[in-house]
Amino acid sequence: MSTATINNPADTSGKTRWERAVPVYGFPVVNRTFIVLVGMTLLAFLLTAYRELAGLGPVSGMNDAYGWGIWKTFNVMVLTALGSGAFAVGIAAWVFRRKRLHALMRMALLTSFLAYACGLLLLGIDAGRPWNFYWIVFPWRWNFHSPLAEVAICMSIYAMIPLAVENIPPVLERLWYFDSRLRPGVERLERGLHKFFPWIIAAAYLLPGMHQSSLGALMLLAGERVHPLWQTPWLPLLYLGAATFMSFGCVAGTTMLCCVVWKRAMDMEVLDEAARITSWLIFGWLGFRLLDILFRGALGTAFHFDRFAGVFWLEMFTVAMGGWMLRRSLRTHETRYMFLGYVLSSLGGMVYRFSPTTLAFRPNPESLYFPSAIEVLVSLGFICMGIAGFLLIVKRFGILPAPLQEWHDMASYFRFRRPYIRWTGYFKYGYFGDNEETESD
Amino acid sequence: MDITRRELISTIAKTGVPAAVAVSVGAPSLHAETENIPVPSAAVGLLYDASICIGCKACVSACAEANDTPADTRSDALHQAPNDLNDLTRNIIKLYKPEDGSISSFVKRQCMQCLDPACAAGCPFQALHKDPETGIVGWTAEQCIGCRYCTITCPYHVPRFQWQGYNPRVTKCELCSTRLEKGLRPGCTTVCPTGAVIFGPRTVLLDEAHQRIRKNPGRYYQERVYGERDNGGTQCLYLSRVPFEKLGLPELGVESVPAKTLRWQRRLYQYFALPALLYVGLVQVIRKSLKGHEHEAHEREKETGLRAQL
Ligand code: SF4
Ligand code: SF4
Ligand code: SF4
Repeated sequence: MSTATINNPADTSGKTRWERAVPVYGFPVVNRTFIVLVGMTLLAFLLTAYRELAGLGPVSGMNDAYGWGIWKTFNVMVLTALGSGAFAVGIAAWVFRRKRLHALMRMALLTSFLAYACGLLLLGIDAGRPWNFYWIVFPWRWNFHSPLAEVAICMSIYAMIPLAVENIPPVLERLWYFDSRLRPGVERLERGLHKFFPWIIAAAYLLPGMHQSSLGALMLLAGERVHPLWQTPWLPLLYLGAATFMSFGCVAGTTMLCCVVWKRAMDMEVLDEAARITSWLIFGWLGFRLLDILFRGALGTAFHFDRFAGVFWLEMFTVAMGGWMLRRSLRTHETRYMFLGYVLSSLGGMVYRFSPTTLAFRPNPESLYFPSAIEVLVSLGFICMGIAGFLLIVKRFGILPAPLQEWHDMASYFRFRRPYIRWTGYFKYGYFGDNEETESD
Repeated sequence: MDITRRELISTIAKTGVPAAVAVSVGAPSLHAETENIPVPSAAVGLLYDASICIGCKACVSACAEANDTPADTRSDALHQAPNDLNDLTRNIIKLYKPEDGSISSFVKRQCMQCLDPACAAGCPFQALHKDPETGIVGWTAEQCIGCRYCTITCPYHVPRFQWQGYNPRVTKCELCSTRLEKGLRPGCTTVCPTGAVIFGPRTVLLDEAHQRIRKNPGRYYQERVYGERDNGGTQCLYLSRVPFEKLGLPELGVESVPAKTLRWQRRLYQYFALPALLYVGLVQVIRKSLKGHEHEAHEREKETGLRAQL
């Protein structure tokens, strides 16, 4: 490979084509935002320590009527739905072979892993007697019929095995580029990994399919206390459906946002494909939800003048609006609408996933729940931890998709402008591809 | 390398047919399970007759004493006057007094010891467990993770969580099972001055309740014992002059809450057959996708000279 081809890469068509995951280079990891995020995280850790000593009562707004607060109902129920990208985008790419979506896979895997990790941590903090979680390794103690056992067990297994393993390739890649002495080892590892990949990937679709629906099944047992607009035997399926379009929105929307922030070109072919799938998922979900309400004869309650009807229409409207905007962006090719469409549909989905446990939950005796300041800070702190992790990782590993050109730009950037940065081993070799002759040390 | 229609159909057929068989084989056994909830051999319970309770609350303090819990004086720092079940209160007397001056009634609330308890159905590591002999639903501290799911699943809103402290417990009436072992009766039944709450085997209590209904025609609401069939049957039974719903005992139908709501969940996961089949099918499809994907990536690698990213 001569330098000439590298400096004049093939892409001259003017149309961007995401081909390679390239780290976000040229921006420092530690900036003001990052410091604020880390600060919030540390604060959350401190408050968590206080919570473990004082118990749940003093730190949260939870009470006998609302046994579950936002840690479970928002950070777990809602955010893991946003983090189901590895499941939804993955199925589209691997099972239905929407090949172009592979460009989004690394983003999907990373966001999922972070969302799940934060959710699981909060699940542990929210549990009153977390030390008893060790029963998880004794299957004969599991209550197989309990949706909560299903969620807790399946979610931890998923995040710790298939999802974590799927996230290994970018790390190995970095090592491969880092030092040529590591290469034989890395390649051996990769070969081993690839052998297990079909089993790992299949598990990575089966498990979330199970626990994302079981999250819906959780509220089935609450029976009448969940408002009839939400309480349905189809709750598991609707929860799963919401997770699919929300996570598509999260993955594609985040990628778009990153492209804008770090000035990267967008591949409209991939984004259009994602938007098309998302819009169909949205309309399918909306249709199913409305039909279900209709057949159960609960539609009348949607026209009562109360908070339930309000939340219901808010949710329906935002999701539908998001779906419409996505369709519109497909016609007019305005990325602005596409982004807004993702944001709105995901917000609507978030309201939906949040409602059965909180907004549409009618405890007896009637009582109110409002999260306390500490609760909100801890919840936010763990979200901040996820975001900080994301910012760190996209700047150090090849996650964000980019045109081929970007890779070459990155290589020259480090070669000529930052030759003193040690970790550019990543790029030192990447620049020359497999050419080993130029290696100096 | 789009997924071909033929491949899709064959995959669906390969996984779907055995799955359908598995579900239909599993279904009858489930039906049997949901329709007749077995009554434990030595099922014991309480019979509470709201119409003769005078609301003296002797049973409330007797309950605290029997369970060795400190008196809950949090409301006025002097009297034991909890206003609902809570982490120190397993048993409570409440008053239903309608605005229109029609008949009022006290109600004693405690765990119903359901025959098919929703709290135990949801409890992830079987911390809440129904004793197969006495049918008492007990709580084991060592298996409870403090998830508070039981406070959400119980249709009678009985289990309460301790919100203070680093080692919280779940509180619910366990029918004084430790006293029963010593041959004593549950605390509340030992002090009741009117016999409004009595203890005994479920069958005896049911006979007694029906006898009372026969002897006093027209006295009891719907001439019915709450708990005989409600929610699949409970071991604590209620008689009342006012509608049960007013006393906080919702009309749940004869099917138990877990049987009603988790039917499909249980069917889908029966023997794990369906998930296992789905898994095998997925592996097949993905194996093929992976081959195509790898092939393309390596072609591209040759073109660009950059290492393939999988
Ligand atoms: S009344 Fe509630 S706590 Fe008692 S056994 Fe039934 S479901 Fe469990
Ligand atoms: S709080 Fe404890 S007893 Fe209640 S459902 Fe959770 S683990 Fe079971
Ligand atoms: S002791 Fe008997 S009469 Fe007094 S409140 Fe309790 S159940 Fe009613």
